[in-house]
Amino acid sequence: MPKTSNGIEIEGIVTECLRNATFTVELQNGHKVLAHISGKIRKNYIKILPQDRVLVELSPYDLTRGRILYRYRT
Amino acid sequence: MDVSPFSAGPGSPGGSPGTGSRPVTITRVTESQWLALDDNEELGRGDVSHRPDGRMFVSVDSWQADVFDRLAAAMAAELPGPLHAVVHEDDLDTRAAWERAGFAVARREREYVVPTDPRITGLDAVPPPPDVTVVPLGRAQEGPLRALHRAVRAEVGATVGWETMPAEVLPRPDGVTVVDPSKYAVAEVSGHYVGLVRVVPRRHEARIGLVAVLAEQRRRGVARALLADVLGALHRAGVTAAWAEVDESNIGAARLIEGLGGQRRGGILELVRR
Repeated sequence: MPKTSNGIEIEGIVTECLRNATFTVELQNGHKVLAHISGKIRKNYIKILPQDRVLVELSPYDLTRGRILYRYRT
Repeated sequence: MDVSPFSAGPGSPGGSPGTGSRPVTITRVTESQWLALDDNEELGRGDVSHRPDGRMFVSVDSWQADVFDRLAAAMAAELPGPLHAVVHEDDLDTRAAWERAGFAVARREREYVVPTDPRITGLDAVPPPPDVTVVPLGRAQEGPLRALHRAVRAEVGATVGWETMPAEVLPRPDGVTVVDPSKYAVAEVSGHYVGLVRVVPRRHEARIGLVAVLAEQRRRGVARALLADVLGALHRAGVTAAWAEVDESNIGAARLIEGLGGQRRGGILELVRR
């Protein structure tokens, strides 16, 4: 099975919930990205809140945007 | 399943380009996962999961709208209907993508943020019914709690149905009706549990997952008494707000939450392709 994805995955902390179903996430490298929730997380009704530690896949087209793939347990 | 290469123009969430003239293959790699691939490079993925009540929920993630469309079409062609999908009401791009795939909104769930401060909720000003005792979060006896949960499930299943309830309280296999008893507070009348609330504290906010009262005990303030106890305890613990989701058709629940000062913070749309 192919394993490669064209996204860069990196951990971060959610710093802000925005109104349009997006979030500001501060990445481990200090950069901030605008991220939305992946369909898989949405499908499972997982709630994302500020201070949540998450795994973000960056867009290969715009490194200031990302998709939240996973919320780590606190 | 493989499909032929396609071309498409720009357009997707975040302004990402389309795939242009790149060949894209849609492949079902497992029973529950599809990948959109270009020469082994993943351009998108789709998943399907079965809820315990038998419904199938699908999701698609791609940076390109045309890849999203291809994945959704491939999944719809292979899976028996009806198919369900979930989007945030503000996520207009994803909603439009599902609608292109033949999905339509079937249900709305409102999200509320409820304050815990009794000076705002007003819950300390209204005494509970005199015969009602609230057993605080985590102190309910497990056996009677499970029995109450089964009774609530039976009532919901026989009336409005579980499709109107949040995912986290959907029916589960026999014997697993309450996954974690420590997350429940219950209301007791004459030694019998008659109502419950499920709460999950998380840092400065909490999530109210379920408020339920047996039909014979409704409209007497049992739910308010439960929420007064739980929200008060959260407030004393430094938790300032709680999240709750309410089905738009559940007028009584919406009135209860809004009466406590709950503020709307968006909503969730459930879409169905029949």
